[in-house]
Amino acid sequence: MKKLISRILMGVAILASSACTKIDNYPGPNASFQGTLISSTGGNFPTSGGSTQIWMQQIGWTAPQTIPSKFDGTFEDTQLFSGGYKVVPTGGAFWPVYDTVTVNLTKGTTHNFTVTPYLVIKNFTATLNGTTLTLTYDIDAPVVAGLPTIKDTQPYVNTTALVGAGASIQVFSDANAVTINKDFIDMTAADKSMTLTVPNLIPGRTFFVRVGVRLSDSYNSSNFSNIIQIDVPKQ
Amino acid sequence: MKIIKKLIIAIGMITGALITSCQKLDVAPKNIFTSDVIFNSQAGIQSFLATIYQDLPIEDFKYVPSANDGAESPAGFEHGGNDWQEFYNEAACTGEEVGPWSGMDIGTGFGFWPYGDIRNVNIMIAELPKHVADLTQTGVDQLLGEAHFLRAYYYFGLAKRYGGVPIITVAQDPGAPLATLQVHRDKEQAVWDFIAAELDLGYKMMPATSDAGRANKYVAAALKSRAMLYAACVAKYGSVNYVDGEARASGAVGIPASAATGYFQAAYDAAKLLDGVYSLYNATPGDKVQNYVDLFLKPNSPENIFIKQYSIANNTAHSWDDTMSPRYFTANALTRSYPTLDLVNLWGTLPITNSDGTPTRYDNRAQLMQQLEPRLQATIYFPGATLRGLTFDMQRGIYPSFSGTAAAEVAKPANSRSYILASSTSTLYQGVQVIGFTGPWTGDDELTRTGFYVRKYIDYTRLQATVNLNTSVQPWIDLRYAEVLLNRAEAAVELGNTSDALTDINLIRDRAGATLYSSIDLTKVRTERCMELAFENQYYWDLKRWRTADVVLDKAHFKGLMPYYVFDENKFIFLAEPELFNREYTFPKQDYYEPLPGGEIANNPNLLPNNPGY
Repeated sequence: MKKLISRILMGVAILASSACTKIDNYPGPNASFQGTLISSTGGNFPTSGGSTQIWMQQIGWTAPQTIPSKFDGTFEDTQLFSGGYKVVPTGGAFWPVYDTVTVNLTKGTTHNFTVTPYLVIKNFTATLNGTTLTLTYDIDAPVVAGLPTIKDTQPYVNTTALVGAGASIQVFSDANAVTINKDFIDMTAADKSMTLTVPNLIPGRTFFVRVGVRLSDSYNSSNFSNIIQIDVPKQ
Repeated sequence: MKIIKKLIIAIGMITGALITSCQKLDVAPKNIFTSDVIFNSQAGIQSFLATIYQDLPIEDFKYVPSANDGAESPAGFEHGGNDWQEFYNEAACTGEEVGPWSGMDIGTGFGFWPYGDIRNVNIMIAELPKHVADLTQTGVDQLLGEAHFLRAYYYFGLAKRYGGVPIITVAQDPGAPLATLQVHRDKEQAVWDFIAAELDLGYKMMPATSDAGRANKYVAAALKSRAMLYAACVAKYGSVNYVDGEARASGAVGIPASAATGYFQAAYDAAKLLDGVYSLYNATPGDKVQNYVDLFLKPNSPENIFIKQYSIANNTAHSWDDTMSPRYFTANALTRSYPTLDLVNLWGTLPITNSDGTPTRYDNRAQLMQQLEPRLQATIYFPGATLRGLTFDMQRGIYPSFSGTAAAEVAKPANSRSYILASSTSTLYQGVQVIGFTGPWTGDDELTRTGFYVRKYIDYTRLQATVNLNTSVQPWIDLRYAEVLLNRAEAAVELGNTSDALTDINLIRDRAGATLYSSIDLTKVRTERCMELAFENQYYWDLKRWRTADVVLDKAHFKGLMPYYVFDENKFIFLAEPELFNREYTFPKQDYYEPLPGGEIANNPNLLPNNPGY
């Protein structure tokens, strides 16, 4: 009788151990995709958090995914499944791109996108007087016809080089915004030459500063200047 | 040995059970209702309809517009016994209130996809004509009208969220080839036209009266005025302010601007059908505050067109009383969403500042409120108001003395202001309580952040000890005559018929205790709507259809009314300050349409392209 029990137990053990032997032999996400958003007016296209993304959809699948652009206009994702993807840059202050590009992703795939910015910020200068920072810059539009209305302009001030929309100190940044609400075509040369003031910076601190001009496009997106470093001397 | 015997018996029993379990069944199932059982009698149909009504996308007390920020999941239309998170509401995300949402976090919705309910309606529409013998031709026609109304209600819920969706009017056969099941989206305009046609059928076929909670022909007309106004605004304003994309190019979202006038006219005509059938609640015209409070609580109000009912016995009661007033007035629970000063200022700037900029001194808290429009007092609990024998004693802190202007004081950094604050109601300053039992206070998320509480729909007659979670049963008024008048006035003014709009708006203002207008424009009509329908889950959709959400909610911060006691003067002052969490709300333009639910796209890739921006 004991033999019988041990046999039953053995049978159960064999059944149990052989039940779950499926092997996941699919390849892991080992492809990557990187590149740069290039401005049609030259140089990288400067972006900010929560704006420009590379929208991509694997061919044969229905759920799109996105790669957010870094602040310097580059993007990179190293955990993607290899295969064919439809890709397009979206969500930033550039003339919309509707035609997707098909890329075949493998390890180290690189693709650059050229976009036409709504506005270009030129001659960006910063002057520190005591604790008051004065920012001057000019705006220019590569394409004027059909440009969305310009809503406002504002400085972005942060304590790290990651500075932009959603990554700035509110009292130095949003609080110093200036409303514009004009179409570029109606702006005079003086209107296009802008000045922003950031008062009451803290002595002895280092700040990273850029300016942005916001338009009423589909995403209420902003064109950004480059980022500069401001060292406020101790008093 | 005994153990082995038992084991053998056990194995034998299991084997026996397994062997005998494989008997083929060939008897009619007794636990499934066949269509004959349901559709042969009014009682059967009523029980079938109950589910369809219960699932209607009525944005009532329990509606949770998103599962973000710790709201209950799954979000959406709730009808269980413990849906108590009434403060996770639309109002708290749009600046009517501020609440538990950490920003504008409801824009992408919760994946509403009621095709199961639509299928039930489609089955009903197909089955009813087979049962004329039992139900009579009139009976069948009336029920068909009701079914068309219900189907329209579901499609309205879809259209305002997604734009164009597949219009399915015949129950799909699960055995049909996949290609015929994976239907494409219809154009947005086609969906609105379908809704209009369904509601016209509802109006034509349904009787003039119905049981409370069920539709009649005027409910269909009232809903049509709401729906057509939405469609008209999508056509007029959505053709100016939009996000471009494939779905827009194909017409899955967006309506040509040229269609706007037709929809405005349809909204106007539908609203006019209710002329003389319903009227504004005015049972106590001598006390306009009480009258306006009672309008939301009295059954048999001539203003109620379509209501949703709740019951403790059926385990469907809600928690409005318990979660919109602080614990001070209730037996349990907390509040988390509070009306803003921005909403209150729609009625005109509050008289809290003198012409020289200094804060107006008041002898007591209630003095401010007593000068205000009755409707405003009945919509919001102001400092000094009373409930269940207790006073709303809102007080942010104490100024030992106060000099200078309100603006200069509020602009100061917090640490250089001379006020005294406290973290507990037991803290005293020279024998005087520093903060009120009802806030405002930031220490926890349970007392007002704005100096106000919601009054609309609060049942003041209940005893404090009984005000617990899941014990409120006052019905939600989904459609009331004031909204129909507002729909009519808005459509009229958009069509250039200002005299009709003026009459409609003045009816509402008269009942509200407001001064009557001598002229009218679109801004006045819209503002009146925001005031009259505050907290009724209309404002969010109004902002969406007017396409002003991305302007109104553009890095928006909202304000509260902070009452302070000035110690050396023995007076109260009120300062307009940022609500105490000072949260920011930004509405992204692509949220004018919600994304189609990802799971549904996976089931049916023909739903693609998704709405622009997703």
